[in-house]
Amino acid sequence: MSHLEQQQPIIRFDRISKQYDDGTKVLNDVSFAIERGKFYTLLGPSGCGKTTILRLIAGFTESTQGDVFFQGKVINGVPAHERKVNTVFQDYALFPHLNVYENVAFGLRVKKWKKSDIDAKVKEALRFVNLNGYENREISEMSGGQRQRVAIARAIVNEPEVLLLDEPLSALDLKLRTEMQYELRELQRRLGITFIFVTHDQEEALALSDEIFVLDKGVIQQSGTPVDIYDEPINRFVADFIGESNIVGGTMIEDGVVRFAGKTFECVDRGFNPNESVEIVIRPEDLEITTPELGNLQAKVGSQLFRGVHYEISCNDDAGNEWLVHSTRKALVGQNIGLRFDPEAIHVMRIGETEEEFDKRLETYGEAGNAHD
Amino acid sequence: MGRNNLWSKLYLACVFLVLYSPIAYLVFYSFNSGGTMHGFEGVTLDWYKEVFQDTRLLIIVLNTLVIALLSAAISTIFGIAGALAIHRIRRYRRKNALLSLNNVLIVSPDVIIGASFLILFTIAGIQLGFTSVLLSHIAFSVPIVVLMILPKLQEMSPTLIDAARDLGANNWNVLSKVVIPFIKPGIFAGFFMALTYSLDDFAVTFFVTGNGYTTLSVEIYSRARQGISLSINALSTLIFLVTIVLVVGYYFINRRNGGKRARLGVPTQ
Repeated sequence: MSHLEQQQPIIRFDRISKQYDDGTKVLNDVSFAIERGKFYTLLGPSGCGKTTILRLIAGFTESTQGDVFFQGKVINGVPAHERKVNTVFQDYALFPHLNVYENVAFGLRVKKWKKSDIDAKVKEALRFVNLNGYENREISEMSGGQRQRVAIARAIVNEPEVLLLDEPLSALDLKLRTEMQYELRELQRRLGITFIFVTHDQEEALALSDEIFVLDKGVIQQSGTPVDIYDEPINRFVADFIGESNIVGGTMIEDGVVRFAGKTFECVDRGFNPNESVEIVIRPEDLEITTPELGNLQAKVGSQLFRGVHYEISCNDDAGNEWLVHSTRKALVGQNIGLRFDPEAIHVMRIGETEEEFDKRLETYGEAGNAHD
Repeated sequence: MGRNNLWSKLYLACVFLVLYSPIAYLVFYSFNSGGTMHGFEGVTLDWYKEVFQDTRLLIIVLNTLVIALLSAAISTIFGIAGALAIHRIRRYRRKNALLSLNNVLIVSPDVIIGASFLILFTIAGIQLGFTSVLLSHIAFSVPIVVLMILPKLQEMSPTLIDAARDLGANNWNVLSKVVIPFIKPGIFAGFFMALTYSLDDFAVTFFVTGNGYTTLSVEIYSRARQGISLSINALSTLIFLVTIVLVVGYYFINRRNGGKRARLGVPTQ
């Protein structure tokens, strides 16, 4: 592999739009690049277009506008069976009339491999997903988690450059899902190929990905590492969709000074116009409950839920904003409390900012010498 | 509740008694040495001997079987193509229209189909005989096969086809390695249905046969009109036995293919 090829994105979307015959637009001018050997997640609510992107890469559907590049070549119109990608489907789509071995061997059989080669390759793939010894089982005899693994083995046996995973964990129960998350991550590391994972589960996305694309209404709202997206959401949608957030309206007095809930606070955000209307995000785990005197904000506890790891406490400040707090300590409903938070916990969002503008503005943080993480 | 159960069982028994008693009666008298359908005189296998010595009858049996197997096989192939075509149609109205056209052929009286085929073959100049019987049997079997295969196609998840193409299968691979194996129980059901429909068809065959070519049902009809001979009873008994073997065989094949989800497919008329 030449150095150039290594640098080149393996998949690139160039201004892709997709519209159905009835006029509904599922993708609107989407562009992005996927690098070799990373774990990507397409995250968004149902109907945001994430599965359509996957189908465009796999070759099950064609774009209305724009080009899909694979290793620098346009692959619009190349049929699915000639593309070097493989898919793990949401319902696994295992062939019910074939046993585990034949399911995994399917791709090699249609490529007319030699019997002995197929045998070696299938055994290796099954070993990879810890299913050696299950060759002769029928699909109907396998549990959900095992079917999942068969589906993965069936895909990776073809040595794809990119593995597409369409919500593969959504049919599993919580415990198994967490287990499979670890396994998928591990599998991606061992294989060293690109994974593109589609999900609507933000926790899954944060846990697995090197990079996340957050989608809504056919547009990529934000892309970045899980930490970036969690800490610096670009807009209300992303802040709301990833994790739990307190989002309130406010005014940016000047760089580093923001006013919301009737008070003025110090913050680390900059690059705004003076007195610009903004939205403020503070994560529930960044709020600390203290006495009213010590708090930055004064509030009254409205309700409380026990969530296992923490208490979810909902309180209301004097200005009428609702604040969600995650705390390991119990609060008393009706109690007057103070909410304390650091300037770094405040994240200010400019309304209607594009990702490009947002990234450019974020860069100025560093130049201003503010360590912000 | 126990009482209710008893009555319903009794009712069911009565229904089956009424359904099967004519056949039982016919079978019973096929062993009568008396030569009539009343007054049982003694057990004999003479009538069966007579059937097996009647070479003309055996040739007719052979004709019937050849027609049934050939028409069932050919109509199964056409039926698979037809079911795939109907299944592929996305537009709901068009699909329904085609399905209705298909079903009309099944419910329309055999007499009309037979008469129309007679007219068609006469106009087209096709000589009545083997070809005309075969063609008409294929024609009335295809809709049945389509109807038996379609539910299986609808049961198949569309991602199965995506998965096959994703793994490198071309259109032919998808059809031969995924779709056909998946709908195999439906194909078998359709084949056996076509077989039985062809075997016992009388009305259509009666119209389109000629030039000395005849099938069992038509032959039995004409013999029964000529006068009572218990060899007809013997022949009918044998056919009945073959039918039972077919049904049982179909049941087991279907069960093997369907695994635990065995279902005896019955055409909706």
